[in-house]
Amino acid sequence: MSESNPDDGGEFFAQFLDDYFAECDEHLTLVRRHLLALEEEVGRPDIDQSLLDEMFRSFHTLKGISSMVGLSAAEQLAHHMESYLRALRRKDAPLGVEGVEALMAGTTLLEQVIAALRKKESAPGIDATVARLLAIVSAPAPEESATVKATVDESAASAEPERDATRTNAPSRRVEDGRTWRFEFMPTPALSERGVNVNSVRARLLEIGELLQATPHVREQGGIVFEFVVATAADESVFAGWHGDNLTYAPVAKEAFANEIQPPSIQSPPIQPTIQTGPASASEEVGGSQSPSAAPAASMLASSNVVRVDLARLDDLMRLIGELVTSRARLDESLKQLKRNVAPAEWRALQETSQAMARQLRDLREGVMRVRMVQVGEIFERMKFVVRDLARESGKDIKLELLGQETEIDKFLVERMMGPLLHLVRNAVSHGLETVSERVAQGKPPAGKVTLRAATAGDNVLIEIADDGRGVDVERVAARARALGLLGAGVGVDEVLLLKLLCAPGFSTRDEADRASGRGVGMDVVGRTIEELGGTLALSTSENRGTHFTIELPLTLAIADALIAVAGGRRFALPQTVVREVIEVEASAVRVLENNEIISYREGVLPLVRLARLFGLEEETGRAVFHVFVIGSGAEVLGLAVDRIIGQREIVVRGMNDPLVKVAGVAGATDLGDGRVVLILDVAALRHSLRGGKLSDGNGSARPPRRR
Amino acid sequence: MMRWGPTARTAAAPVVRITMTNIQNDSEPFVLFELAGTTYGVRSRFVQQMEMVEHITPVPNALPAVEGVVLARGQVIPALNLRVRFGFEKIPYDLRSRLMVVNKKGRTLGLIVDTAREFFSIPDAAVEPPPEAITGLSGKYLEGIATIKGRMILVLNLDEVIDIGEEQSTAGGRAEPA
Repeated sequence: MSESNPDDGGEFFAQFLDDYFAECDEHLTLVRRHLLALEEEVGRPDIDQSLLDEMFRSFHTLKGISSMVGLSAAEQLAHHMESYLRALRRKDAPLGVEGVEALMAGTTLLEQVIAALRKKESAPGIDATVARLLAIVSAPAPEESATVKATVDESAASAEPERDATRTNAPSRRVEDGRTWRFEFMPTPALSERGVNVNSVRARLLEIGELLQATPHVREQGGIVFEFVVATAADESVFAGWHGDNLTYAPVAKEAFANEIQPPSIQSPPIQPTIQTGPASASEEVGGSQSPSAAPAASMLASSNVVRVDLARLDDLMRLIGELVTSRARLDESLKQLKRNVAPAEWRALQETSQAMARQLRDLREGVMRVRMVQVGEIFERMKFVVRDLARESGKDIKLELLGQETEIDKFLVERMMGPLLHLVRNAVSHGLETVSERVAQGKPPAGKVTLRAATAGDNVLIEIADDGRGVDVERVAARARALGLLGAGVGVDEVLLLKLLCAPGFSTRDEADRASGRGVGMDVVGRTIEELGGTLALSTSENRGTHFTIELPLTLAIADALIAVAGGRRFALPQTVVREVIEVEASAVRVLENNEIISYREGVLPLVRLARLFGLEEETGRAVFHVFVIGSGAEVLGLAVDRIIGQREIVVRGMNDPLVKVAGVAGATDLGDGRVVLILDVAALRHSLRGGKLSDGNGSARPPRRR
Repeated sequence: MMRWGPTARTAAAPVVRITMTNIQNDSEPFVLFELAGTTYGVRSRFVQQMEMVEHITPVPNALPAVEGVVLARGQVIPALNLRVRFGFEKIPYDLRSRLMVVNKKGRTLGLIVDTAREFFSIPDAAVEPPPEAITGLSGKYLEGIATIKGRMILVLNLDEVIDIGEEQSTAGGRAEPA
């Protein structure tokens, strides 16, 4: 372990570590799967290259990210396994049973080392396993590859001892090629907004040379500094310009560095590996330093409490639930038919089961919705880091108060709210809070207070950002608004108007954009984002008492990809997941069968339903070509005819919950950005009602559609 | 003192604040609106905002009085045509037409009225129950009648106005206007 203990790093580091563990889990899972596949390859002349490549990449990533969190034992283990895989890829080393076993032992140990960090326990020793890996890499290459690449093999063979030395003393040798520099990078939110973060800096450094070491340090005054040691032949002028990105550098003396980073475990002479020992006994050899719970630790890591799921998969799940709901409705329909033919007691039993299923389906649906919810504390915690940064930059004394972190909010909302919240917090600090001396002069406590509060209010989430600073200078805002021509002379400014002015594009009361709040998203973006998410923003401010923003957001938002179509002169949105196919149909191709319209489709026929007719809208006549959505499957397949499709959009689904507008066939509404509401079709309900012949929502408020 | 939460928002509505200054202890501010030549009043604490009538999206198969849905502060709300609701002849919207967004019983709705612009403080004592003679269709929607300085103001019973579902089940389908 490196000297910096990541546990002291506060919430930012905790978050950082969470991400690290999650990423490790992913790669270790991949590696485990590939190891099993690799075992099958033993003894074959041609090893599956893609398998080796993927494992190599996983270990490479594990090495990189382990170094970022300062877990050098994991870094070394991953490094040696990566080296072995590199050798395998080049056919420099044979793949034998012992090789696979060494990889497995190494992977198990790697898991244990990572699990130990997670459980804040001492890590098991790695010397024995490392030695075992080293021994395998230096074993002579198999005959067949020697014949294939005789010349390469020769040089490889002669290089063998030296390469071994390279591995044992890897960094110090590479230093000889050029110079070694120590870079220090201090991340800030402003930088990360420009895309400059630890990862991008790391990538940048990898481009100019070899990354020998990467260590995070937690600074006493708060914040984190990442230290990178890079060996590069590049001229200083290449990176001299990086100062602006908070990336400083200084040359490192070779010897000093070599001594400094040489891990003690590698300094010990290689232990002759005993090939026969299994993975478990290999780690047991280390003895003393190993924690007694090392073996279960591996399974601990595998069963991490956090699962990362792509939102798209949840949407899939939601779609399946929707189909279940339709199926159940069909079942309900069949049950009604059955009533006459079945004994009442039996029928009642069936009916009860069906109703229980309906309830369970509703619970299931809500359960899936809940999965999308995350605690708002996630973004609040990040604000701590931001405030700490701002405090240092501005020299102000700031106390951050967080309330209601456990409040849950849709994951999608959280991501979109990050920017606006950042901006409001920065505003509170740089515009709102006074300096210590100003505060003391006014009899205020020297430390300014910024409060972030979240709470649930019905179907909404309230997020409040308050400071106890000087308040918005209404006169100054008004004066500037008049100067910009936003405000007529003599018009009074109240809080609503004040907020409108502040959110006007290009409005900023500071003539020179200051570092903290004059850049990035402005108040106009804040206002727009909140509005787009279906929320509202309110402001209340009073002189010398502070400013208080209240954001009100819907608890959850479903986002869907939708096709936008026009029928009967109106626009409608259709969730893309329900559309099997979109076809263009010539009016002349439509056949009328009794009172149904059909077209030929694939091997059979497709019954058409005209959306305009279904909704009692005026139909556009004389159209030679129109579009049809193919929905449903098998015997249920249906063509929903519209005049034309005008595009595909990601839409925010807004509920239409008022009983006055809850009608069958309409799932909700969305706004495509022009202030007009577009209805979202509920295809399941449409299909269902079509089988029944008419569109009715069952609460008695709907009219039957016009007869066809 | 800083205001927290919803209080801050309601108090922030500019029009409401102006009338707040006129409040006496025994009276309440009303928003006055016109419908078919008659003046109606609705308690301004239920009125969230006032908008021009534009961009109404019709909802298929909704009740005749429901013109459709509109976007109000990011929320999709029903727009109810009060003329149709009260059984008056429907007229096209013009520049004077207003969408009055009201909050009642946890619901948010837009009411389309001929015009609305005045705030008026009505003393509690001035509101009298509607006379027997008009307890017909429109009488049902009235909470009372106030006569101030010769002006007659019909005070709206908002609950009855927005509660269409119940009426449907009792009164059945009403005749649709052409």
